[in-house]
Amino acid sequence: MDDLYLILATLTFLGGFILAVVSLRSERGGAHGLGIPLAVIGLIFQSLFLQVRGELHGRCPITNGAEVLVFVSWSIVIMYLLLGRAFRLSLLGVFTMPMVFCFQLVAIILLAVSDPGARPPERLDPWLELHAAMSLLAYGAYGLAGVAGVMFFVQDRQLKSHHPGRLFYSMPPIRYLADSLTRLLGIGTVLLTVGIVAAFFMKDVPAMQHLLISGAVWFLYTGLLVVHSVKRLAPRWLSVSAIAAFALALLSLSAL
Amino acid sequence: MSIFCLGLNHKTAPVEIRERLAFAEKAVPVHLAEICGLAGVSEAVVLSTCNRVEVYGGSDDPQGALNSLRDYLVSHFSITPDEVEFYRHEGVAAAQHLFEVASGLDSMVLGETEIFGQVKKAYATAHEAGTAARKMHKLFQQSFSVGKLVRSTTRIQQGSTSIGSAAVDLAEKIFGKLDGCRVMIIGAGEMSRTTAQSLLSRGAKSIIVSNRSFDKAEELAIELKGSAVRFDDWENCLDEVDIIVSSTAAPHAVVTHETVKRVMDRRRGHSLFLIDIAVPRDIEETVNEIDNVYLYNIDQLQQIATEGKERREKQIAVCREVIDEFLREKGIEALGGLQESPDDRVSNEPRTGPSGRPLTQA
Repeated sequence: MDDLYLILATLTFLGGFILAVVSLRSERGGAHGLGIPLAVIGLIFQSLFLQVRGELHGRCPITNGAEVLVFVSWSIVIMYLLLGRAFRLSLLGVFTMPMVFCFQLVAIILLAVSDPGARPPERLDPWLELHAAMSLLAYGAYGLAGVAGVMFFVQDRQLKSHHPGRLFYSMPPIRYLADSLTRLLGIGTVLLTVGIVAAFFMKDVPAMQHLLISGAVWFLYTGLLVVHSVKRLAPRWLSVSAIAAFALALLSLSAL
Repeated sequence: MSIFCLGLNHKTAPVEIRERLAFAEKAVPVHLAEICGLAGVSEAVVLSTCNRVEVYGGSDDPQGALNSLRDYLVSHFSITPDEVEFYRHEGVAAAQHLFEVASGLDSMVLGETEIFGQVKKAYATAHEAGTAARKMHKLFQQSFSVGKLVRSTTRIQQGSTSIGSAAVDLAEKIFGKLDGCRVMIIGAGEMSRTTAQSLLSRGAKSIIVSNRSFDKAEELAIELKGSAVRFDDWENCLDEVDIIVSSTAAPHAVVTHETVKRVMDRRRGHSLFLIDIAVPRDIEETVNEIDNVYLYNIDQLQQIATEGKERREKQIAVCREVIDEFLREKGIEALGGLQESPDDRVSNEPRTGPSGRPLTQA
């Protein structure tokens, strides 16, 4: 059943992306408003998948690479739904859905090739659960910051080229993108800090590799925010940094 | 009872005629009462703007009502019948015409939104004057729905149609709302004034004017409720502004790459939008290569405006499809009785609308 939920969630995000692209290319813009309802439907299927996996393991379902990818995707969608409208970022969903689709496609393949099955904990540790959940929610915020960075590049390029295309008129202003990017990095860092603090209360001391990688990601993003607040990085550089940092953070996940 | 429309607009009459026929706002209720007193006219709404004068009405004898209405306008506004040719629509064609007007398809600037408010106001005035009854109520309520539908489901409002609106639209795509933006004008020419006014109308916060002749700078600054700075000092104000509009008559570049680069180093990541409407150009082209700086010259703005106009013109067909769909699905039934006009009675023959295109029958 969990496989089915994951496939349905993945197809929903793919459908949302295709609909958005068709809507942007068409002479009429009516289908544009379906982005949020489809993201909500996708989120429901993701949640059902995570619930089934959680019941299987008897703990937070992040016991293998596929589950981690789905959890990060779920966090990204949650962040998009919570913050996309508040930050007045139209088309954020259009840019988010392909990324979520790709993550989940990889997750489907991984589970199809080798599903490790149930991995119940030797003993339940709420601090470990809090650490894991907060850290992956932080990855969601960082993922969305990366998406905002990509959108900044697209809009910046259109403005510099002097030939704004159709996408230009549907995209948010670059100032909103730059501001949102900074806020998302801040939200992610707060969440990751809570996650790391929770790790200090865990019953079992985490492995050194885990500690090093989590610390490195935290330092990477905190350093970026400190440099930005002191030197006020140009939005272009902040965007590059947000995209590169998320790529590194994702790579680090595979090592955890 | 059938509805009808008689009028003229910027496409059918020159401004000399339109200004003579324009209804004074305060006198509209009186005119409405007089129009409703004409033979055959039982309801009336007057839509009078700078680009059109139209009277919508309901009548059991639309042809007779149209004739008496034409005679009334000609005599009341002292116009000879040879001077003006009114267009006349009845039944569905009249409804379709109003729907196109409310959607901005009949406007001088395609897709503009001001007309929607003007149609609403025209109906409200008639409603208060007691000359809009059931037919006009249904017709105008439908036109409001269609106007909103067309704007929300098509791209008729997308893209700029003039140099001024292109500059403002670009500014909004850089800064979002312009209410916190500060503008500097270098060179107090007519184009600068127009562009600055467009920016102010969208909420730009303050204007600084600099000109070789300080008197002219002060004059324009007073007009725009801004402040003037001497031409030697404009560089010192660059840190404070978000948008620069330059249109001096200088034969060389006034704003150089070096100047902007220096300023950007101090602006801590804040964007700068430069609009160069001077010929020869005032701002070095390489300025656009600096991070966070967006430079547009007059040709580039004109190109955007031309593309915007073309895009909107292509949208006319799409908008008309929306209107036809609306009329086909619920418009005609909801308006009821529109088919009573002999011209619009349900038949298998294709009909033509106000623009001569075939109408889709319900």
